[in-house]
Parts: sequence; structure tokens; C-alpha cells
Amino acid sequence: MNHLAHAIDEIGRTTMFFAALLKTMFRRPSRFGDVVDQTWNVTLQSLPTTAMAGFFVGAIMAVQFTMQMRDFGALGYLGGLATSGTLREVGPLLIAFMLSGKVGAYTSAELGTMRVTEQIDAVRCLGADPLQELIVPRFLGIVISSSLLLGAGLLMSVLGGMTLGHLFAHVSPEEYVRHIPTILTWPSILIGFAKCAVFAVVLATICTYRGYSATGGAKGVGRAVVTTAVSTMMCLVVMDWVTSYLAEAVMTLARGP
Amino acid sequence: MKSLRWKETLQQLFFVANGSGFIVVFCVCFAAMVTILEASFHMKMVIQNDSMVPGFAALLILKELGAVVTALLLTSRVGAGIAAEVGLMKVTEQIDALRMLGIEPVRYLVLPRLVACVIGAVLLTLIANMVCLICAMLVSDLMLGYSPAMFLSSMRIFVKFQDLLLAAVKGAFFGAVIPLVACHFGFRCRPGAEGVGSATTQSVVVASILIIVLDFVLSYTFSYL
Repeated sequence: MNHLAHAIDEIGRTTMFFAALLKTMFRRPSRFGDVVDQTWNVTLQSLPTTAMAGFFVGAIMAVQFTMQMRDFGALGYLGGLATSGTLREVGPLLIAFMLSGKVGAYTSAELGTMRVTEQIDAVRCLGADPLQELIVPRFLGIVISSSLLLGAGLLMSVLGGMTLGHLFAHVSPEEYVRHIPTILTWPSILIGFAKCAVFAVVLATICTYRGYSATGGAKGVGRAVVTTAVSTMMCLVVMDWVTSYLAEAVMTLARGP
Repeated sequence: MKSLRWKETLQQLFFVANGSGFIVVFCVCFAAMVTILEASFHMKMVIQNDSMVPGFAALLILKELGAVVTALLLTSRVGAGIAAEVGLMKVTEQIDALRMLGIEPVRYLVLPRLVACVIGAVLLTLIANMVCLICAMLVSDLMLGYSPAMFLSSMRIFVKFQDLLLAAVKGAFFGAVIPLVACHFGFRCRPGAEGVGSATTQSVVVASILIIVLDFVLSYTFSYL
């Protein structure tokens, strides 16, 4: 029971933190330069990792789909199915897991260190709002760059799928690309990128909150980093399901009964 | 075998398996739901009905999702924990102290964690696969209208016992990667609190990438079996 109460407590606190963040963002906008700085930092740091992860996720999906479809002689659909499957479901989730390890851990460690070494209190002492000066730029930076990075990872996954389709299933790249539009529709692409955006917001909120509320010295920072990664992943899978479900519902509505 | 510290190994196993059990099960349940929903979407598109969803989804769960999701969760929980612990020992010169006492730090620290992680990861992967399949069964019963019996019989056509074994093998490989990477970065940790932080972050990133790459290599290899 205690665990459950604690979990609900944390969810509530994170939501309140998110609300405060949004309020600050609109009432007292941060400096544009700070946001650009953060975005640039995060993107530069994580681009190679994300691109590599994306490539291999695409490759894995291509191999798996090939094995399933070979028996049906439906390899022509490989390009479409592998791309659509990666873009709508597996790609965003796995790449976001990756990012939560990289960006999330880094940010919460940085903010946590600032908190336990009382730099955040120092900012407040100087009459500045730490939310406005420190948190909102990081939050926006992570949201923008994670959306970009996830998008880039998804593009790389198409490349990975294409390469492996060629090497493993002997589907030539032209053939692979030609069949993408038969399965992959615009709504699917939109859902994929909407998922990326949602994941980016989840990731940014949790890691800034965890870092900002770290207590208890170096050990506390370590704890904050680990809980960031774990709670981010849990929220990501839940949001993955929620977005899929909502997308399905919206599609059903749009298609009519 | 004698040099293995059994008590420490069991403690680590408890930390790895028992501590992560709930998170793994929770995450895998949701992953299963999404898999079923998406598989049904694709099936309807390609062959106009979704009668083969259970089989395909079960195959995807067993071959990829169960093992990879479990491993990535373990990385961020267990891997980060080990890296921080070993890094802190390095920074506070406990590892040098061990060496002074004539104790091999690798055998003393790494071996129990390696053994515990491999066993824990295999167990968790198997549990995750089972939970994932049961959850998929529930979702396809509630949302797509396939009764559990239909799910199982459709699954039997696609899934072989071999698949479960291969998933366990994958789990063992991923379980070995996590403590090795974490201990590597822990042993090379730079002094200070910042060093421990960056060792932790780096170990999580490198381990996750290695897991994804290794997953690709293993899937590719298994496809020839």
C-alpha cells in the first residue's frame, strides 16, 4: 500500500511541477538564446547515439518481418510493413528508451548536482526564478531536440530496414522504397511523429523534475538519476499505449462507423 | 567455482531479479497491448482481416520485445546501480584497498555481479515473455474478440518451443553485457562526484546501444537456425 501511495504522490508532484513549468513558460518567457543553447547541446550530444540506435532498430524489424513473411511469399510487402511497424510502434519506443538513458540521466544528474551544491538556491538568492532561468530552457531544449532526434532516428530506421532488406531478404532498395507508400499512410507517419513529441515532453518533464527535487548529497543525485531512468521508461510505455489507443479511436471516428 | 562469493551473488541476484520484477512486468504488459493493437492495424491493411494477429504478435513478443524491453529496463536500473556503486568504490579508493589486501577486485566485485545478472536476466526474460503473452491474450480477447483458446491455437502454428529458448539465450547475452559495461566504466571512473555521475550515464548509454546492436546480431544469427 505504501508503495502505491508513494507512486501516486510522485505522479501528483510531477504533474504539479509540469503545471508550474507551463505557467512560468508563458508568463515569464526565458531568454531565447538559452533555449537555443540547450537545444544545440542536447542535439549534438545525442545525435550519433540516436542515429545508430535507429539504424539497428530498423534493421532488427526488417529481419523479423522477413522471417515472418517469407513463408507466405509476401516479401513484396516487406518495405511497407517493416517501415510502418517501426514508425508506428517499435521505433519511437526503443529510441526514446535510449534517449531517456542519455538525455534524461545527464539532465537529472546536472540539475541534481546544482541542487545539492545549493547553486539553485543561489540563483533564487540573486532574485532570479530558477524555473525561468534553469528549468524552462532545459525543458524546451529537451522537448525540441528530442522530437528532432526521434525523427532523425526514425529516418535512420528506414535506412537500416532498407539495408537489411537488401542484404538479408534480397529485396532491392528500389523495391523496398516503392512498397512503402502502399502500407505507410500519412496518418501513420503523423502518429509516429506525434508519439515522438509526446515522448519528448514526458522525458523532459520527468528528468527536470527529478533533478530539481534531488536531495541528500552525491548519493541523492545518484538516486535521482536511477529513478529518472526507471520512471521515464514506465511513463513511456504507458504513453505509448495511450497514444496508440487514442490514435486508433480517432481513426475510427474519422473513418466513420 | 570456489572463488565465487555465493552470498554476495545471491544478494545481487535478489537486487537484480526481485527488485526489477515489478517494473519489468508493468512495462511489458503495456508493450504487449500496443503490439496487439498495432499488429491488428497492419494485418487489416495487408490481408483485410486480422485472424493471424495472435500468431504474429506472439512471435514478435517472443523474438524481440520480451527480451529487449527487459534488458533496456535492467540497464537503466541495475546497470546504473552497479556503475554508481563500483565508481564510488573507485573514487573512495576502496578498490585500491582491496588490491592492497591481495584481493583481485575483478573476481571480488565483477564476478558475483556478472553471474547474478546473467541468471536474473534469463529469469526475468522468461517471466516477461509469459506475462506479455498472457497480457496479449487478454487484450485480444477484450478488444479484438479472440478467445484465449483461439489465441493459443493460432499461436501454436507460428511459435515453436525453440523460440522461447532463443529468447532465454538473448536474455543471457544481454544480462552479461550490463554488468560488464557498468563495471568497466565504474573501474575507470574519474575522481569526484561528477566522475561517478558521468560513469553512470556513460555505462547506461553504452550498454543500451550494445544491447540493440547485439539484439540485431543475435536475431540475424538465429534466423539461420
